[in-house]
Amino acid sequence: MNRKVFVAGLAVTLPLVGLMLVSLGRDPHKVESPLLGRKAPPFSLRPIGGGEPVTLASLRGKTVVVNFWATWCVPCVDEHPVLTAAPQRYGSDVVFLGVVYEDEEPNVQSFLREHGAAYPSLVDEGGKVSIAYGIYGVPETYFIAPDGTIVSKYVGPLRPDLLDGFVQEAQARAVTRRSDAR
Amino acid sequence: MKRTAVLLALLLAPLAAAQTPPDHTPVDLAHAESIAGPPRAARLAGAALEAEAKHIAAVLRCPVCQGLSVGDSPSAMATNMRQQIRELVAAGFDEDQILSYFEASYGEFVRLQPPLRGVNWLVWIAPGLGLLLGLGVVSWVLRGASAETSETPAAVAATGPAVDVVPDPLPDDPALAKAVLRVRELAYGWPGGVRPGKD
Repeated sequence: MNRKVFVAGLAVTLPLVGLMLVSLGRDPHKVESPLLGRKAPPFSLRPIGGGEPVTLASLRGKTVVVNFWATWCVPCVDEHPVLTAAPQRYGSDVVFLGVVYEDEEPNVQSFLREHGAAYPSLVDEGGKVSIAYGIYGVPETYFIAPDGTIVSKYVGPLRPDLLDGFVQEAQARAVTRRSDAR
Repeated sequence: MKRTAVLLALLLAPLAAAQTPPDHTPVDLAHAESIAGPPRAARLAGAALEAEAKHIAAVLRCPVCQGLSVGDSPSAMATNMRQQIRELVAAGFDEDQILSYFEASYGEFVRLQPPLRGVNWLVWIAPGLGLLLGLGVVSWVLRGASAETSETPAAVAATGPAVDVVPDPLPDDPALAKAVLRVRELAYGWPGGVRPGKD
């Protein structure tokens, strides 16, 4: 083979192969959101079925799991039992919230009646909170540390082991902060 | 006069409703300000507001679409983003501030035109560099080819092919031998394929 052609071919393909190998090690579901490490955008949203608005600021001091979901989204339906079982496991230090993404309130009410609800699902009128949180689709879940900082974001249906890992990561941040303050 | 005004208001009501979704809550301006700073443009309204909002929507990528701008996308997400753009423009935020506001949520991906900073320079200069490199390679190859041909034409004109052919023995069959000679003549340009005066 012509040596020059071989070298030129290597010069083109090697960087591409390198890029591919680097990307292979990354989890495509774990999105590097620009919000990571920043204060979570504030919100005050009305729960489905009525009641006092839930304000993120009022949950300062607790780990907050915000799950964006919809009844028309099959993976959201798949992960629903995982999220419904979670609050009982973690106790009152971890607060779970659902934010309904592009869905009709009656559909959500009927879904929750049928499948059960262990935490409030909130109405995001005009998609304001979805946009502030940079949502691309559902399900997407944010993990917010007790100091209000977004620690991680997960795209796709959560499994119990993944959920545990992310919650522990958010709680660990609070522990680190407390020991920093001493 | 009063009846005309009422009639006009009734006629325009659906248009106003179409502009603002019925379940809409205004964008959190305090949050927008915490990201982009205080508004630094004039508060716009009417046609000027719509024109500016349309211009900004055209340079924002719809996050849930494939390569469509917020202005072009029919998705609910893009509709909501257009509404937010209108409210931000009406509140006096300029284009750069509004782009920064959405960038804080979605990252640089949300800009259809990546700004000239960091590695983004590559996106802007790589096509030009690639073109220059391609032209360089083509000119190098053409120069090499012309150098080769400049050596050979005169030689070919004067002496025929660079390599003198030592003809193989002809076949015994006279008809076949004649055909071979004819082919050699056609191939090399001399009777029997042998350069005159070679022997």
